[in-house]
Amino acid sequence: MNSYQYLIDYLNNSPLIIELVWSISSVFFIILITLIIYLKYLRGSLRKKERLTAAYEKEYESNLINYLYSGNEVDEISLEQQAIIDQFNEDSKDPFKRKILISVLVKLKNEISGDIADSVQKLYFQTELVHYALSRLSHKKWYVIAKGIRELKKFHVKEAYKEVLIHINHPRREVRKEMQLYMVDLFYFEGLDFLNLLETQLSEWDQIQLLGILQKLENQDIPNIKSWLNSSNDSVIIFALKLAKTYNQFEAKDEITILLNHSTKKIRLETIDVLSYLNVLEAKEILKADIENRSHEEQIAFFKMMENLYESKDESFLVKYVHNEIFEIKVSALKIIKALNKDKFNNLIAESSDSQFLRIANFVEKN
Amino acid sequence: MELAKKIVLAEDNSMLSTLLKFKLEKEGYSLFIAENGKETIELIEEHNPQLILTDIMMPFISGLEVISHVRNILKLQTPIVVFSAAGQEKIVLKAFDLGATDFMSKPLSPNELLVRVKRLLR
Repeated sequence: MNSYQYLIDYLNNSPLIIELVWSISSVFFIILITLIIYLKYLRGSLRKKERLTAAYEKEYESNLINYLYSGNEVDEISLEQQAIIDQFNEDSKDPFKRKILISVLVKLKNEISGDIADSVQKLYFQTELVHYALSRLSHKKWYVIAKGIRELKKFHVKEAYKEVLIHINHPRREVRKEMQLYMVDLFYFEGLDFLNLLETQLSEWDQIQLLGILQKLENQDIPNIKSWLNSSNDSVIIFALKLAKTYNQFEAKDEITILLNHSTKKIRLETIDVLSYLNVLEAKEILKADIENRSHEEQIAFFKMMENLYESKDESFLVKYVHNEIFEIKVSALKIIKALNKDKFNNLIAESSDSQFLRIANFVEKN
Repeated sequence: MELAKKIVLAEDNSMLSTLLKFKLEKEGYSLFIAENGKETIELIEEHNPQLILTDIMMPFISGLEVISHVRNILKLQTPIVVFSAAGQEKIVLKAFDLGATDFMSKPLSPNELLVRVKRLLR
């Protein structure tokens, strides 16, 4: 009691700054103790959750294997299987257990194919987990919708086509990405029809992912891409150009050639690249006629195209560009002249006294 | 009575390994399951199996190290089938260089695996 009184007296008689320091220290001390207690509780509860998750995982894994191996030879559900379905059905009402159950199903589905994968898929429907995934599609939070679409894709729920397509122009990129992957993963090239309705931009990464899925397909019969080449969405046009290049869509050359005069420079550049790849000689003549009015990037792209599509009649045109101010154009023009007419190339070197030009010409000669 | 042919299966996905165990045991094979490369080597040394099935990516010691150990240290010619995921083509080629007999890409079909196991243990 005396010591408490002593402390109170000490504080009362101390200067204000000392009182303040003690007060702040006390507050920090209380916060520290509270945080330690909270962390201890948090760690405990996380460990408990971890243990519980592991226990449920083990139980579900074992039940799942029992389900897969307790079927009849005929395509009927055995009593044992029905009991497992009923238990899964009951457990899936609890969001915590449902999450574990889905992760167990996904874990196995990722590793196997064939009959057993089909059985896992069947079980997903029998346990009515599909309804929970469908209900996620109308959730307020974007990440819940994205997860729902991903789950439906994983379990090949084609029936959700309309509900998923609603999110085609969702403000969140992640949701749109999941929607696009769902379409292509489940409906292959037909799934690309969403491009007709897409108003938002398809990022470079989205395009790469879509092409990655499409290229793995056995059936490589691509649908008509002409309507996408005329899209009002620039990213759809760029993606269609990528499709044209990947799948050699020579029959769409007229629509692609029109894009040489598109208002967006990026599309014009991409178009030159695709036309060059498809060896469309008519495009070369169109560009030759108005190359001076085009941007530097387009001029460079055009000369790259020329390296691929040159003809002997182009020689006089090319000679005009061997002293062009743009390095890449100079190099391309010299490379083509060297390939077309070696004497002319040698004459150009002999006639020039420009040291920079001679260095470039020497480089071209040696390579 | 003919003794059951022994197979060591190295797979870190417990559910997949149990599933394959059931499938192969039903066909009369005796299965030994390892969850990592270290356990795999121990099981191979202990049981001298007629076939080894191993995932390429495993904790502690990878499938490649298991193949190398079997071929170079234990000097065994036991057939080895490797499981690989998509995008691991380069590692699969390394596995063949080290002496793998066959490979299957994931997701794998248990029925197809059974056909391959039967062919290798004929």
